[in-house]
Amino acid sequence: MGGLPEERGGSVLADNPPAADTLGFYIHVPFCAQRCHYCSFNTAPLDASAMTRYLAALGRELELLGALPWAPRVRIETVFFGGGTPSLLDPAALAEILARLRRRFPVAPGAEITVESNPESVTREKLHAYRAAGVNRLSLGVQSLDDAILRRLGRLHDGRGARRAFEAARDAGVDNVSVDLMYGLPALDLEGWSHTVDAVLDWQPDHLSAYGLTLDAGSLWGAAGVAGLPREETVVAQYWRLARSAAERGFEHYEISNYARPGFRSRHNQIYWRAAEYLAAGPGACGFVGRVRYANVRATPRYADTLEEGRLPLDTFEELTPRQRLAERLILGLRTADGVPAAWLDARLLCSGGREPGSNRGSPARGAAWLRDAAPLRRTVDAWRGERLLTDAGDRVRLTEAGFLLSDALFVELL
Amino acid sequence: MILSRIRNFSIVAHIDHGKSTLADRLLALTGTMDAKKAVDQVLDSMDLERERGITIKAHTVRLLYRARDGHEYTLNLIDTPGHVDFSYEVSRALAACEGAILIIDAAQGIEAQTLANFYLARDANLTILPVINKIDLPAADVEGTREAITTTLDLDGSEALAISAKHGTGVPEVLEAIVTRIPPPVGDPDAPLKALVFDSFYDSYQGVVVYVRLTDGHVRPGMRILLMSNGRADDVQQVGVFSPDMRPVEELSAGQVGYIIAGIKRVADAKVGETITEAARPTAASFPGYRDAKPMVFAGLYPIEDTDYEALRDALEKLRLNDPAFTYEPETSLALGYGFRCGFLGTLHMEIVQERLEREFDLSLIVTAPSVRYRILTTAGEVLDIENPSKLPTPDRIAEMKEPYVASSVFVPTEFMTAIYKLAQDKRGEHKALEYHGTRVHIRFDFPLAEIVVDFYDKLKSISKGYASFDYEFADFRASDLVKLDILLNGEPVDALSVIVHRDKAYEKGKVLVEKLRAVIPRQLFEVAIQAAIGSRVIARETVKAMGKNVTAKCYGGDITRKRKLLERQKEGKRRMKQVGRVEVPQEAFLSVLKS
Repeated sequence: MGGLPEERGGSVLADNPPAADTLGFYIHVPFCAQRCHYCSFNTAPLDASAMTRYLAALGRELELLGALPWAPRVRIETVFFGGGTPSLLDPAALAEILARLRRRFPVAPGAEITVESNPESVTREKLHAYRAAGVNRLSLGVQSLDDAILRRLGRLHDGRGARRAFEAARDAGVDNVSVDLMYGLPALDLEGWSHTVDAVLDWQPDHLSAYGLTLDAGSLWGAAGVAGLPREETVVAQYWRLARSAAERGFEHYEISNYARPGFRSRHNQIYWRAAEYLAAGPGACGFVGRVRYANVRATPRYADTLEEGRLPLDTFEELTPRQRLAERLILGLRTADGVPAAWLDARLLCSGGREPGSNRGSPARGAAWLRDAAPLRRTVDAWRGERLLTDAGDRVRLTEAGFLLSDALFVELL
Repeated sequence: MILSRIRNFSIVAHIDHGKSTLADRLLALTGTMDAKKAVDQVLDSMDLERERGITIKAHTVRLLYRARDGHEYTLNLIDTPGHVDFSYEVSRALAACEGAILIIDAAQGIEAQTLANFYLARDANLTILPVINKIDLPAADVEGTREAITTTLDLDGSEALAISAKHGTGVPEVLEAIVTRIPPPVGDPDAPLKALVFDSFYDSYQGVVVYVRLTDGHVRPGMRILLMSNGRADDVQQVGVFSPDMRPVEELSAGQVGYIIAGIKRVADAKVGETITEAARPTAASFPGYRDAKPMVFAGLYPIEDTDYEALRDALEKLRLNDPAFTYEPETSLALGYGFRCGFLGTLHMEIVQERLEREFDLSLIVTAPSVRYRILTTAGEVLDIENPSKLPTPDRIAEMKEPYVASSVFVPTEFMTAIYKLAQDKRGEHKALEYHGTRVHIRFDFPLAEIVVDFYDKLKSISKGYASFDYEFADFRASDLVKLDILLNGEPVDALSVIVHRDKAYEKGKVLVEKLRAVIPRQLFEVAIQAAIGSRVIARETVKAMGKNVTAKCYGGDITRKRKLLERQKEGKRRMKQVGRVEVPQEAFLSVLKS
C-alpha cells in the first residue's frame, strides 16, 4: 500500500482506467448528530461551517474526478450516499451534488441512487425533495424497535420514530426502501429480536440488512467494552430466526447480511461483492478502479485542504496482485447466494496456494511450496462441502445459510 | 613444529560459569581475534547456540601465544558443549586434549555439572587446572571455593587461579598456566600417521570436514589416507587449522589439532573415534573406540503435510551428517501418516533438532511427546525394546515392563532441601545418599528417566530459585507398574498421543491431558470429544464445542481492503494444523502431552 504525500493522487487514477465501462459511485457524508456506540465509521459532529466547507470540497472532488481522461467513457450505474448520516444533507445540497455528478459523468437513466438515512433526520417533505433530486432508494437505519436498546446503542430515534420514518418514505413515493437492523446486541434476547423482526417485516420493506454486532476497533464499545452481550448460541438463534421469517415473507437471503424481495437487491452493494469497480468521493471513502484500491484522506479538514489546493485527496492506494484479486473475488463472491464460478475456486486450489514470492521465511529453492500448501485448502473445501456449508449449483459454488454463519473461517483459508 | 611448543586443552564448566567469556578473552589476548571486532562469544557460532547461550557442537580454535619464557606456543582450544544432554560430545572433545581448565563460579561454587565434567576430564587422564571465575562479583567467595575444590574435587585448591574473565583479571596467568602446567602432547612426527577423529561436520561445498588430533606422523594435501575401521581410502584435498575460521596450512603433524578435507561425503564414513592413517604406511594400532552416544529420548517427527515426507527425510539425512548423535528410522502412525521415530540425547537435543529442521529446512513438523525406551518381557519370553508407546503389546502379552532409571546428582543450598525431596517424591525418585558441603548439600537420587526428561529441570530450577544444579547418567532398567494411556478424538484413538505412565499417575495424567488438549484444539465445524482411556476404560473426557459463528457482517462502505487485512492478520496468527481423521489438530497439541 502506498502513501501519497505529493501530486500523485490524480495520476494514480488517471493511469488506471477502469476495466469495465460501468461503475458504481460511493459518496461519503462524514457527519452525524451523534456517534453511535458501536460505530467506527468516519464521522464527526455536524456543524454548519464544516458542512459548508465539506460540500465545496466534495464539489471540487467531483470536478477533478470528472476531469480524469477516461471519465467520459464510463457510465455510472449506481450512486450510494453513505456515512455518517447522509440524510443530514439539505435536499438542495444533495440535488446540487447529483447535478454536478451528472454534468461530469454519464449517469445511466435507470441508475440506482441510494441515501442512507437515520429515522430522526427524515420527514416526508425532505424525502420528497430527495426523490425529486433523483434519489430512488432509501436505506433506513432502524437497528431495533426496542427503545431501551436504541438508547444503549446511542441512537437518537425510538421505535415509533422508526415506523414514522418508514411511512414517510412510502408517503414520499420511495418505492424501494431498505431497513437496517442489528442483532447480537447487548440485552437483546431472542424474544426481543423476534418482535423487532416480525414488526419490521409487517411494514413490508423491499430490502432488509441485518448486521450481527461486531466490536470494531475505533468504536466506543470496541475501546471500552460493553456488558450484557448475548451468548453465542443466542446470536446464532437470532440469525436463524430472521433467515426463517424473511424466507416465509418471500425474501431472498442473497448475501450474508442482506435480504431482498425479488427484484430489490441492492445493485450498489452487489458491485462490491462482485469485486467490480466503483469510484468514491468524500473523506475516507474507498474506491476501486482498474487494479487499484484507494482510500481518501479520512479527516474532513485535511480532505478539504487538499481539494482547496486543487488536488485529489487520495491517502493510500494499493495495486492488487493477481493472487489478491482472485482471493477478493472469492471472499466477496462467496458472501452472496450467487456464489462464484466453480472455476475460480478451482484456480485457487490448483495453482495459487502457498506464500507469494518474497513473503516471509523459506529458501528460494522450495519451488513446490504452492503444491504443499494447496492440500490443506482442498481438505478444508471438502470438509465444507461435507458439512453442507458449501454447495455446488450448476457451474457455480456457493455457501449455504449455515455456511454464511461461519464464512470467515473459510475466507481466511482462501486468501 | 616442536611438540613441546604445543598445548591441547579444553575448558569445561557448569553452565553460566563463564566458559565462553574466558574463551573470548583468550582469543583476544593472543590476538587470534581483535577484541573490538570480536563478536561476543565467537565460539557459539550456530544461531541457536547464541540464542540459547549454550554450546551445542564442539569447536576448535588455534591460539598463538608468546609465553614468558620467550617462546611462541600453539594452544589448541577445543571447546566443548555445555549441557547435560551433550556429555557425550564433551567426552569426545576431551579425548583430544592433554589438559582441561575447570571453571568454577566464585559465587555459585561447585555445581552438578562441575562435578560431572571433572569426572569426565579425570577419566580422560587430563591435567585439570581449576580456575575460580567471577571474583569481581560482590558475592564471590574465593577462599570458600578453594576449600571446596580441595575437599570435593580432591585437587589442590590453593593452586587454583582466581580470575574475572569479564574484566580480564588474571587471564594472562591462565595462558601462562596452560603452558607451564599442562603437558605437551607426546608423539613421533616421523612415525606413520595416526590421527583421531573427534568431531566433523558436513559442508555442502567441501564435503565432510573432519576434526582431528594427530598423535603421530603428519598429513598434507595429496596424501592418500585410510580410515581404519571401514577401510575407506581417500585423497587429502586440504588440511588446516581454526583461527578461528578455517585456514588451510601446508601440513598437520603429531600433537597438532586441525581439520582434514578429503572428499568424504557422509559424516558416517568418518565416525567419531575413527583412526585416520596413511594408506601407504599404516599405523600399527588404531585408537580404542569412543564411548558411543546412546539416544535416551525418542519422539516421532511427522511433516504436517504428507507431501513433505521426502523433504523431511532429506533434511534428517543432512542433519545427521552433522549430528551423528541423533538417530532416525521410518515409522508410520495411523493418525499422522508417514514419519520418523528419532532418538535424541535429551529433550534439549530434541528441541534443537526440531528447530533446525524448521529453520534451516523450512519444514513444519509435528513432534510427538517424547518417550524413553521401555524394555518389555512378553509372555512368550521375548524381550522387546519399545520406544513408541503405540507399539506396546496388549497387556495380556506382557509379562513384565521395565523402564530406564538414571543415577542423578542434585547440588542445592540446604534451605531448599525439603522442596527438592518433595519434587523427587512426585517424580518417583529414590533417595540414595546425602552429603553436606558447607551450606550446600549433594543429594543423590535414582529417578525413572521418563520422569525427568520433560519438565523436571525447569521445576527444579523454579523451586530452588535457580540455585539447584542437576546432572545424571543412565543406571539400569527396573521393573515398574506401567500402563498405556490412550487419547481418543471423536472416538478414534490417536496413536501419536499415547503415553506410557505409571499406574498411580494415570488418572491425574489423563485428566490433565484432555484439559490441555481442549484448550489447544480450536473449535471446528463439528463438536470434538476428547477422551483419555486405559484399554477400553475411559477415564477422562472434555468437549470442544462446534464453531457457532465466525462471520464479518459488513464490508464497511466498500472498504474491502480493511476486510482483507483483517483476514490476513487472522491468517498470520493461525496455527499450523495436522488433519487427524476429520479433526484439525494444531502442532502444539502433540507437545502439550509433554508439558503436563
